[in-house]
Amino acid sequence: MAERTAIDEAKRGSAELLILALVEDTDLHGYEIARQIELRSSGTLTFTLAGLYATLYRLEAKRWISGRWVEKAGQRRRRHYRLTAEGHKVLAVQRADWVKFVEALGQVAGVRFA
Amino acid sequence: VTPSGWRRLVARHAESTGVDLSPQTVDELAAHLEDLYLGARADGQSDSAAREQAEKALETSGLRPLRREPRPDPRRPYHGLANDVVAASRNRSLAMLYALRMALRQLRLHPAFSLLTILVLGLGTGAATVVYTVVDTVVLRALPYERPDRLVKLWDTNLERGVARDPFSPVTFMDYRALPTFQEAAAWWRPDVNLVDPGLEPVRVRTIETSSNLFRVLGVSPAVGPGFAREEYLHHPSELQAVISDRLWRTRYHADEGLIGRQLSFNDTPYLIVGIMPPGFLFPDEVDVWQRLSWDLSQHSRNAHFMEGVARLADDATLERATADARRLATRLGNEFAASNQGWAFAVVPLLEDQLGYYRPALYVLVGAVGLLLVIGCLNVASLLLTRALSREREMAVRTAVGAAPRQIAAQLASEGLILSLAGALVGLVIAFVALPVVVAFVPVEVPRLAEAAINGRVLALSLGLVAAMTMGFGLVPALVLLNRQIGTDLRSGDRGSSRGARRLYQGLVVAEVALACALLVSSVLLVRTVSRMMQVPLGVDGGSAVIASVQLTPESGSLAGWAKVGALHSEILARLREQPGITSVGSTNRLPLENGWRGALARPDQAAAPPTDQPQAQHISVSEGYFESMGARLVEGRFFSDRDGVGAEAVVILNETAARRYFGTESGIGRELRSWSSQIGPLGRNLTWRELDGGHRVQPGLRVVGVVADTQNVALGVAVEPAAYFPTRQFPFAAVTLVINARDTATAVLGLKQVLHQVSPHTPIGVVETWPARFAARTAEPRLLMSTLSAFGALAAFLAALGVYGLFSWSVALRRRELAIRLTLGARPVSVASRVIGQSALLVVIGLLTGFALMQGARHLLASVLFGVEPNDPVSTTVAGAFLLLAALVASIPPAWRAMHVDPVEGLRVE
Repeated sequence: MAERTAIDEAKRGSAELLILALVEDTDLHGYEIARQIELRSSGTLTFTLAGLYATLYRLEAKRWISGRWVEKAGQRRRRHYRLTAEGHKVLAVQRADWVKFVEALGQVAGVRFA
Repeated sequence: VTPSGWRRLVARHAESTGVDLSPQTVDELAAHLEDLYLGARADGQSDSAAREQAEKALETSGLRPLRREPRPDPRRPYHGLANDVVAASRNRSLAMLYALRMALRQLRLHPAFSLLTILVLGLGTGAATVVYTVVDTVVLRALPYERPDRLVKLWDTNLERGVARDPFSPVTFMDYRALPTFQEAAAWWRPDVNLVDPGLEPVRVRTIETSSNLFRVLGVSPAVGPGFAREEYLHHPSELQAVISDRLWRTRYHADEGLIGRQLSFNDTPYLIVGIMPPGFLFPDEVDVWQRLSWDLSQHSRNAHFMEGVARLADDATLERATADARRLATRLGNEFAASNQGWAFAVVPLLEDQLGYYRPALYVLVGAVGLLLVIGCLNVASLLLTRALSREREMAVRTAVGAAPRQIAAQLASEGLILSLAGALVGLVIAFVALPVVVAFVPVEVPRLAEAAINGRVLALSLGLVAAMTMGFGLVPALVLLNRQIGTDLRSGDRGSSRGARRLYQGLVVAEVALACALLVSSVLLVRTVSRMMQVPLGVDGGSAVIASVQLTPESGSLAGWAKVGALHSEILARLREQPGITSVGSTNRLPLENGWRGALARPDQAAAPPTDQPQAQHISVSEGYFESMGARLVEGRFFSDRDGVGAEAVVILNETAARRYFGTESGIGRELRSWSSQIGPLGRNLTWRELDGGHRVQPGLRVVGVVADTQNVALGVAVEPAAYFPTRQFPFAAVTLVINARDTATAVLGLKQVLHQVSPHTPIGVVETWPARFAARTAEPRLLMSTLSAFGALAAFLAALGVYGLFSWSVALRRRELAIRLTLGARPVSVASRVIGQSALLVVIGLLTGFALMQGARHLLASVLFGVEPNDPVSTTVAGAFLLLAALVASIPPAWRAMHVDPVEGLRVE
C-alpha cells in the first residue's frame, strides 16, 4: 500500500508539470495531451477522463494555460490548450524543483536518474 | 457512432450519475471519446472494440470533478455573491437577502416616496454631520498648548455693575498672581504698534506687550531663536526684546533666520528680535508681535483696567478652588482698596471656553437644533412608513395566510428602513462633503479654528451611528406595530386599519414632531428677538455710514513738546481732511462707542480732599472738535469743543449725562469745575494742561465743564453706561486715534485720508478701515449667524411637522370615507364634517405645543447663554412660534378636510 501511495502522490504532483511541459511549445487538445503522456511514459502514467480535464480546467483557472475553441471544416470543434506567460514561469520553477527533488531522492534512496 | 451520438452518450452518462456538466465540457469530452475511438480504429481494432474502449473510458471515470461551477450571469452580476453569502451563513441570511430584494422592489415601485424620504434623511444627516464636524473642530479639540486643560484666562468682573469680563489692573494682577492655586500667571496689554522698516511699506501690527513668562505659561517655545530669557522678573526695563509670528516673518522678512539678533523698529523704538514663534501660534488672538514687558506691573494704578492674563493652575488645584481663592482675595482687596477694588473680583475661565466665547453655547444650541431636526425627519419618515405599512395590512395578511412568519414580515419592513437610511446617510455624506467647505468659506464671522474643520473618522462613525439609530427608529416601529396586531383578522373582515392602536401611534408621532418643531421654532424666534434687541440698544450716536480708520502717531519724546506736536499733527490731519473734496465732516477719538475709555478719578473740587484712590471713577476719553458732530451725538447743554480749546487755553471738559447727574444732580453743570488726577495714561496719552508749580510739583488746574452730551454706549452692549468725561484732543492728545470721516462714499474718504497722511506724516500707516455700520454689525454678527441658522432649521422643522399633520389626516380621512359617506347620507352637513377634521388636528397640535414648551424648559440654561435682552420663556416668542405652528398645521389639514367634505354619499352604499 505504502509504495502505491507514494507513486500516486508523485503522479498527482507531476501531472501538472507534465501537462505544462507538453503544451509549452505547441497547442494540443485534451486527447492529444492524454496520448502524449501515455506514449512518453510507456503507459506508466495514465489519466482518467475526468482527472485529465479537471487538471486542465484547474490550470486554466490558475491562468497557467489558456484554452481556445478551434473549428476545422468537417471536424468536431476542439479545445486547444497552450502555455501562458505566467505558465512559462511556473514551469521553469517546477522543473528546477523536480531536478532538485530527484537528485535528493538519488542521494538518499539510491534512485538513479537516467 | 455519429458525432452527436458521442455528445448524447456523455450527456446521458452525466445525467445518470447526477453530475451537471456545462455544454462546453460535454463537447470536449465527446471530442475526446471520438478521438479515442478513431485512434483505436486506426490501431486496427474493430468498430465495436473501439467503441467499447471509448465507452469504458467514460464509464470508469467519475465525472464529479468536472461538474459545472456556477458561472456569473452578466444580467445578475451579484447572483454568485448572494450564493456565497448564503453558503457562508449556512442559509440563515437567505431570508434577509430575500427581504432586502423585496424592499428594493417596494422602493422602486414608489419612486416619489423613496426619493422624498431619502432626501429628508439626507438633509438631516448632512446637516448633522456638518454641525458635528464644526463642533468637533472648534469645541472638542484641545488647544495647541502644553496641557491646555490646565490653562485659564483671567478677567476682572463686577457683578454690581454688570461687567462680566473686563481687563484688569496690573497692580491687582500682582496680588492674584501670588495665589498658590496658580502655578504661574502671565499678563499683557495691547499697545498700538507701527512697524517701520526701511524700504518697506509701514504697517500696523497687532501686538501685545507681555510679561516675559507668557510662553513658559503656555508651554510653547519659539521655533527659531532663544525667546525671552527664563528669568524670575516679569519685566526688563533696560533691554527691549520682541518675538514675532511665523506669518509676519515669512510675509515681510522672507523667513530670514538672520532676523534673530537684529532690531526692528516698533513705534520708532528699536526692539531686539529674539524669536520666531511656530506657525499658527498667534496667542491670544491674531497677534504678530510679542514685546517683552518693560515696566513694573506693581507701579501702576489699581483703577487702570487694561490688562489681560492667562494662568496655569497648580497641579493639585481645581477650577473651583481657584475661583474660591480668587473670590476670597477679592473680598480682602475690596476692603483694603475700597475705591478701586470694591465690587471687583477676578474670574477664572478655562482658556478654551474663553477663546470660544459665544460660539461654545451657540454651537451646542446648534447641535441640539440639528439633532431635533434629524429626529423630526426620522419621525416623519417613520410615520410615512407606518401609513404605508398600515395600507399594506392586507398584503401582509395575505402573506401571513400563505405561510410567511411574522419574523419575515418584520425583516422585510426593517430592510426597507435599512435601505432608506443607508441611502439617506450616503446622500447626507455627499451633502456634508460638499457643504462643509462652503460653510467654512462663507460664515460671515471669524469662528476660532473653523478653518481647520474637516470630515474625519469620528464624524463618519457618527454618521453610521445615525444610520443605525434611524433604522431602529423607523424600520422597526411599523414592523412592531404590524406584529402586535391581529393580522389574520384583517384578511377576514376587509376592514382597513381602523384599529385604535395604530392611530394612537400615528398621533403620537405627529405630536412628537410638533413638539420638537415647537422647541426649534421658539428658539429661533428667541434669537430673532435677541438680534433685534441688540440692534435697538440706544447707542446715543448715529454714525450714519461714517468711515472709521485708525491712525497712530508716535511722540518723538515723552516731553510736553513732543506730545504737543502729536496733538498738533492730529489736528492738522483733521483740518486737511476737511478741505478734501467730497468729505463733509471729520472728527477723531481715542475710544469709539462700545469701547471702554480709560478710567480715572474725577471729582468736584469741594470733594477732592480724599486721595485719588478713594475718588469716584469716570472714563477719560479724548475727542477732537467735530467728533460729536460727525458721530451724530446729541448736545444736551452748553457747547461742543472747538479749535480754540488748545494747549494755552482754559482746560475744558464735556460730560455725558450720567456723569453730569452724578456730579451735579439736577443742577446745570455748565461753567462748574471738576478735578482729574490723570496727567498721563502710560505711553498712550498725556494731559497738556497740567501746570508746573514752583518746586517741580505739577497740578491739574480745574477743568471747566463746557457741555453735556447725551449718553453714548461707552461699554459693551447690555452693560449700563458709565460716567464719562471728554477732553479735547488738543489738550489731552493720544498717540493712537480713530478717525470718523463722513464722505460722499468710502473710497473718497480712504483716498482723502491717504493723501493727507502722505502730506503730513508719510511714515504713518493707516490701520483698520471699515464703516461704522459694519463695525456695529460685527458686534451682533455672532447671534445673527445663529439666528439665521436656527430660523432655517425652525422653518424646515415646521414644514416637516405640517407634512406630518397632513399625512395623518389624509390617511385618516381616506380610511373613514365610508363612515363619512354614511354620515353625509344621514344628513350631516359637509362643513361640520370638515370642521371635525380641523378641530382634531388643532387639538393634536395644541398637545404638541404644550409638550414642546415643557421640553424647552430643559434647555433653558443653555439658551439663556446665547440670548440678549430676552428670557428663554419669553411669552412673545412662545406665542409667535405657537401661532405659526398652529397656522401651519391648520393649513396642512385643509386639503384632507376638503376631501372629507366632498366624499360622495353614494360611496357609503357601495359594498367593497
